[in-house]
Amino acid sequence: MISRFRWALIAGTVSLAGCGEMFDPGPLEYVDSPSLQTELKDKPTMQAAVRKALGNLFGPEPREIHVPVGSGLPMGGARLASHRHFDDGAKPQAFHVAVGSSTSTPGTIPIRGGFALYREHCLHCHGVSGAGDGPTAPFLYPRPRDYRKGIFKFTSTNTGQKPTRSDLEKTIRYGLHGTSMPAFDAMLTEREFQQVIDYVIFLSLRGETELALIGEAGIADEKDPNALSDEVSGEILRAVANKWKSADSQVMNPPIPKPESTPESIQRGKELFLGLNKTGNKVDCTSCHGPQALGNGPSFISQDVFNYVVFGGDPSTRGERLDAEAERIARKRFEMANHGSAHEPTADELKPLLAQIKKQWEDSLDDWKEPLRPANLNRGVYKGGRRPIDIYWRVAKGINGAKMPAHVPTLEPEKVWDVVNFVLALPYEPKLLEGATLPAAPPTSAPKVAQPKYDLSNTTLLADSPPPADPKAGNTK
Amino acid sequence: MRYWSILFALAAVFSIGAFVYAPFSPDWWLPNSANEPYHAVSKFGREIDSLFLIILWITGIVFIGTQIALVWVSWKYIDKPGSVATYFHGSQRLEVIWTIIPAAILVFIALYQMGTWAEIKFRSSAPKVLPLAEVTARQFQWVIRYAGPDGKLHTTDDLHLVNDLHFVKSAEKLEKPALIWLQSGDVLHSFFLPQLRIKQDAVPGLKIPVWFDCDRAGQYELLCAELCGWGHYKMRSKVTVHENQADFDEWMQRKLSEQNQSQIAAVAQGGK
Repeated sequence: MISRFRWALIAGTVSLAGCGEMFDPGPLEYVDSPSLQTELKDKPTMQAAVRKALGNLFGPEPREIHVPVGSGLPMGGARLASHRHFDDGAKPQAFHVAVGSSTSTPGTIPIRGGFALYREHCLHCHGVSGAGDGPTAPFLYPRPRDYRKGIFKFTSTNTGQKPTRSDLEKTIRYGLHGTSMPAFDAMLTEREFQQVIDYVIFLSLRGETELALIGEAGIADEKDPNALSDEVSGEILRAVANKWKSADSQVMNPPIPKPESTPESIQRGKELFLGLNKTGNKVDCTSCHGPQALGNGPSFISQDVFNYVVFGGDPSTRGERLDAEAERIARKRFEMANHGSAHEPTADELKPLLAQIKKQWEDSLDDWKEPLRPANLNRGVYKGGRRPIDIYWRVAKGINGAKMPAHVPTLEPEKVWDVVNFVLALPYEPKLLEGATLPAAPPTSAPKVAQPKYDLSNTTLLADSPPPADPKAGNTK
Repeated sequence: MRYWSILFALAAVFSIGAFVYAPFSPDWWLPNSANEPYHAVSKFGREIDSLFLIILWITGIVFIGTQIALVWVSWKYIDKPGSVATYFHGSQRLEVIWTIIPAAILVFIALYQMGTWAEIKFRSSAPKVLPLAEVTARQFQWVIRYAGPDGKLHTTDDLHLVNDLHFVKSAEKLEKPALIWLQSGDVLHSFFLPQLRIKQDAVPGLKIPVWFDCDRAGQYELLCAELCGWGHYKMRSKVTVHENQADFDEWMQRKLSEQNQSQIAAVAQGGK
């Protein structure tokens, strides 16, 4: 049997060797956090100290996994990776991954462990270090999650808290609709789900500990040999691990069940959404989601600029496209502000306009500095799940790392449920928001980027909002 | 070297041997459920299998005949020292025979399979039943939207699941197949139920009705049969055929109550 595969392997290798373009996945090693270079620019000793401390805690390379004591992860390693014992009980927490072992007997399912499963199913998007930098990542929008910040978007826990294991399981099992995260429900066994979750938490712990170590090293004296001693790094790790351990006690359970989705409740939800409610606190949904809930509110960079910058070409040249677009919008705004005068704007005149546009772009980025869009609520696609409780969580406690803020305690639970009823009804009642407009303009006079209908005949990619004084100015360039 | 003909004969014997062996091994033979490796579990499956067997017999007999002729000719008419080749202009009668016989076989197969093809693929033969679900293939999963208790798609009681196809066995449905609407969210995919012998491409921009039946309750597989990208292998879904409508309804009610979960206590952590 083996020899047959070996022959096939040899034949395959020989025939592929001629191609010369074999895909090289790169070395199997952790990448440094970018802030290691930026935060510790002039501290080479501290950089080395961070790497060393991290290697001691989690293992120097992916194949040598150290499960830190007190991390809350299974110590035996069987669930974390397919390891062997590493060094004769001297360090009971150190395990080495059995590389290339295929000792499984026919008829039994090998317990491959989280690391092996992660390499097979997750690594090509989420990367070796869990940095969301796998080989397929640049092709995806939204980009795969970088676990190293320790921020997870779709959780059942309070704002800013870690997800529970069942939150992660739900994401892996059923995927995230509207993103590239597929459902693994039919691919993995119960035990394998737990193993993958262990490994994801391991990577997240490692990444967040790395950031904390860099922070600690940043304030430490470059010459202090004990700046990142075992005690210090262990303390830092425990602080991070405790956040994971407390996740289960942080679950938010809506105090009342969802009321019946009556037309009255939907109407109340709609009024809250549009900021028209007469009583109670007002919330601001339309400035991001837009008056028709198309995800095109004025707080965000407009959809066509977004499309051009994000999808208009090579992801690595986004900055150039943004600069070009910003220049164009700035010129247009200048032209309109000056009633279409022929006078060319000088660099000084453009500067504040450019800064304003860049600011708006910056405001449209998430915590990973990736461009973000508010959800179009008419599509009935809910990334974090479509159960009422999922949407309650999104509204009540916001989305970690994204721009969606928490609305509890601003809104009472029954009002959150009204909003949930409204959001769930919207895809089935497209007329609900017909003719709705943004609430009365906020007092700031900052020009907003208008939301033009997507029109291919429009020669200007960016229709900017015309100033009220001269309605003709915005028509053509 | 007339012994080359023995090598050709051996190659032919191995090929034929593989086909002779295949029916005796459930792994080599057609995909069927493990309990009944030689019983196709759907009406369409049995029709497809019988067509497959007819074609296998025809091609098998022709293959054996031509191989015998080839080996015999290369053995008998081997180049010998001093032998002189004869040149002639061909035999019209022979050419007509070897054109007409394959053409007749092809026409026979073409006509013989028409009924089955029409029954499985023609839109006019789609069963007059309410749709079970709308299945959207996307990179890399099957997004399934069940019509829900009201039997209508795109209403508030729809059930949304991923990679989990359920329907009722056909004896409980007056032998009527289940009907889905197939579409693609991105690129070409192919909806493949190997045990039920159903394969239909999901084409971007088209909504295609697909119907299938199964007469044994149990677990089957739904796969993608069109290389659709790096995660093609992930497009694997569970298929559950229920014994009767009550079973199916009970399952749907359970899933709907999970989908409508609004508090953790309601389904103690079950909706995860």
